Amino acid sequence: MSSEPILTLTNVAKSFGGLQVLSDVNFELKPGEILGLVGPNGSGKTSVINLISGVHQPEAGSIRFDGAEIQRLTPHARVKLGINRSFQVPKCFISMSVRENIEVAAHFSGHNADIPAILDDIGLTGMEATPAASLTANQQKMLDLGRALATGPKLLLVDEIGAGLNPAELTGIADLLKRIAARGISMIVVEHLMEFLNKLTSRVIVLSAGKIIFEGSLEDASHDPEVVTAFFGGAA
Amino acid sequence: MQALLEYAIVGGVLYGIFFGLVAVGLNLIFGVMRIINLAHGEFVILGGFGAYWVSHSLGLNPLWGLPLAALGAVVIGFPLYYAVVPGLQRSRDPEMLSFILFFGLAQIIDAIISLGFGPDQRSLPDEALGGGTISVLGQAFPDSWWVAAGVSVLAILGLWLYLTRTRLGFATRAIMANRDEAYATGISVDKVSAIAFIIGLALAGAAGVFVPYLQGSVGPGIGNSLTTTSFAILIIGSLGNPVGTLFGGLVFGVGSMLMQTFYASWSDLVPYVLLVVIVLVRPQGLFGKAVRHA
Amino acid sequence: MRESWFKRARAGLITAAVLALVFSLAPNVYNNSSLLFMMMTYIVLSQGLNLLYGFTGYLPFGYVGFFGTGAYATALLVMKLHLPIGLAIAAGPIASMIVALVLGPLLRLSGAYFSIANLAASQILFIVIGNPNLQDITGGPYGVKIDEVYNPTASYAAMVVLVVVVTLIATFFRRSRFGQGLKAMADDPVSAEMSAIPVVRMRLLAWLTSAAVAGLAGALYAWNLSVFYPDAVFTLEISVFAIVFALFGGVGTVLGPIIGAGLLYALYNAIGISEPQYFQLIYGVLIVGLVMFLPEGILSLLTRRGINVF
Repeated sequence: MSSEPILTLTNVAKSFGGLQVLSDVNFELKPGEILGLVGPNGSGKTSVINLISGVHQPEAGSIRFDGAEIQRLTPHARVKLGINRSFQVPKCFISMSVRENIEVAAHFSGHNADIPAILDDIGLTGMEATPAASLTANQQKMLDLGRALATGPKLLLVDEIGAGLNPAELTGIADLLKRIAARGISMIVVEHLMEFLNKLTSRVIVLSAGKIIFEGSLEDASHDPEVVTAFFGGAA
Repeated sequence: MQALLEYAIVGGVLYGIFFGLVAVGLNLIFGVMRIINLAHGEFVILGGFGAYWVSHSLGLNPLWGLPLAALGAVVIGFPLYYAVVPGLQRSRDPEMLSFILFFGLAQIIDAIISLGFGPDQRSLPDEALGGGTISVLGQAFPDSWWVAAGVSVLAILGLWLYLTRTRLGFATRAIMANRDEAYATGISVDKVSAIAFIIGLALAGAAGVFVPYLQGSVGPGIGNSLTTTSFAILIIGSLGNPVGTLFGGLVFGVGSMLMQTFYASWSDLVPYVLLVVIVLVRPQGLFGKAVRHA
Repeated sequence: MRESWFKRARAGLITAAVLALVFSLAPNVYNNSSLLFMMMTYIVLSQGLNLLYGFTGYLPFGYVGFFGTGAYATALLVMKLHLPIGLAIAAGPIASMIVALVLGPLLRLSGAYFSIANLAASQILFIVIGNPNLQDITGGPYGVKIDEVYNPTASYAAMVVLVVVVTLIATFFRRSRFGQGLKAMADDPVSAEMSAIPVVRMRLLAWLTSAAVAGLAGALYAWNLSVFYPDAVFTLEISVFAIVFALFGGVGTVLGPIIGAGLLYALYNAIGISEPQYFQLIYGVLIVGLVMFLPEGILSLLTRRGINVF
């Protein structure tokens, strides 16, 4: 594996209607690495995911993926290059079955996906014909992840997948994400739950009010005064 | 030339204020229920036929059509709201399904008017609203235009006071801002919405009373153009704000009269061109919220 | 894995063959061929509208604009440039696709805004084409006349072919990956993008296809009628009928619009032409009833019983 970064963000900035949601964001991600992205509500975590996946476009800065600038590409073009994501609130294709949800992503991305293996990963084996509309909220989250895997991503962006899960389910998800990473898929994991993140990675970036205030190990982050203030210290 | 311009502007202001009233009910219902009442124009026509009926059959002043419109709005609006709206709000695609349903309703009303009154256009006597003219800047317009504009201003002002000065009005605005949160804060969303629905229909009906004066006549089949025009006006003026709708009406009214004065054969284009241009260029209205996604 | 294309297309091929047979033979047993021609026109228009609404969720209230554009393009090319009728007809769908491209930005609008803006756009076309100031170019309110190419038999046959073609296009939408991608976009455009579906391009493609179908129908209609006023090809009633017929049968299917247009147009002929208000009342009630009780159309009565509807 090369040590060239697979993803590089340089001076990325984004605002909505005069509100600066991200400014001067710089970081790198190595192939196969899992990076945790943490921060209080509204600190811009999901915006980072949206900019990398192309749901939104940055006003300034560059995003390089696999050696090419991608910040002007459409989302579907980025998917074809090997970027995909899960959504905090998954929106599966509710008029389709579980299998069709995955098939359609595999087909359009041109990736020769191993659908039974994906169904096995996301724990929906045997439910291929179930309409997506009748899945539970957690199963829909899994199907959303399955849709992302079906496109053969090299970089997977995971947005608060642990929210609302019980401890056993959290452990299951953490194990699944580790298995996926072991296949060489890089990952950025946005998460509130520190214990969950602790199971996955030691490297985190802390965002506060749209700026990176800390980059390093999770252990050090919990002792960093600025991070502590951002999370607990009222005046931010 | 100068006189023509003054004529167009004075007329446009009166015409526009009146069209603020035509559109304001559509705006209220859309703002509160997120439903485009495609039968809006037909409710305006019903108001017009109500005024025609009080005038011709009862021999009363057509202005009695105003209380009749309010009464009709309660009698029709209350059962109609509970029959269709709560169900639509829970459906898979409330916006589109309600759009189609109210389109069906428009057809029903249109057919009933044709069957009840015949397909003819009806007009009302000028004398009933004065019969003379009032001049501003040397431009004379019939009394009926001034009465229509005056009633429109009062009705829109009344709606504005209702929304900003009463408890129900506050609740109505809370629902406009966020329906789910309004539920969560214990507002009886259905009751408040039903009242807004009735007010919206009453305002449409009240506007209808003056349609025979400002448009020359009223008849089935003009509902669709009234609805699209109203929609253009509410988009110009932004959602949920009756004063904005008045402003939208003025833009439409003056634009329309200028066209009618200088390029008469193209004046029908005004509402449609305004609508298309505004939804594309400035979907949030000249001031207000975005209506566009992605 | 996936069935062969023939297996997937079989239901569509059968449907198209049956339609071709019925409408080819019908003039022998039923001599009102203008009624049959209109029924085919509405089958085509309902299906064309279904291509857009049934598969992308965009309801084109101004669909008639494409129909009128096609009709006028054909008529004017014959009248002014004396083009052979075949070429003039080919220009119909091209003209309506150009209009669709110009109106392409409307697709950025969400549901009801799109519908109402599209309605306004069709009114603009109507007002412009029927404008007395343009009488030298479009014939204005006095309409157009191409009776030198009048040929009821050939135009009837051409409409039969169009019915077949449209049925096959609908089959493609229903049974191909392309159609599945459209469905995914209708369910959720962001997730569709994240499934590598080029949402904007595919939506535009569906829009252009739908416009071309209406444009071609308009071109054949102009040929068949040969003399008409702007009202006849731009009346909102045409949009309304296409919508009601498609909804009645069930959008998103191939059979729905065919059955809806067939049944309701027959009903219209039985009562609508002499008593249009009663027909209007009936379809008004039908629409309200459908939205409240059968939003997927009458064919969903079968779907609900587990019968797969094509």
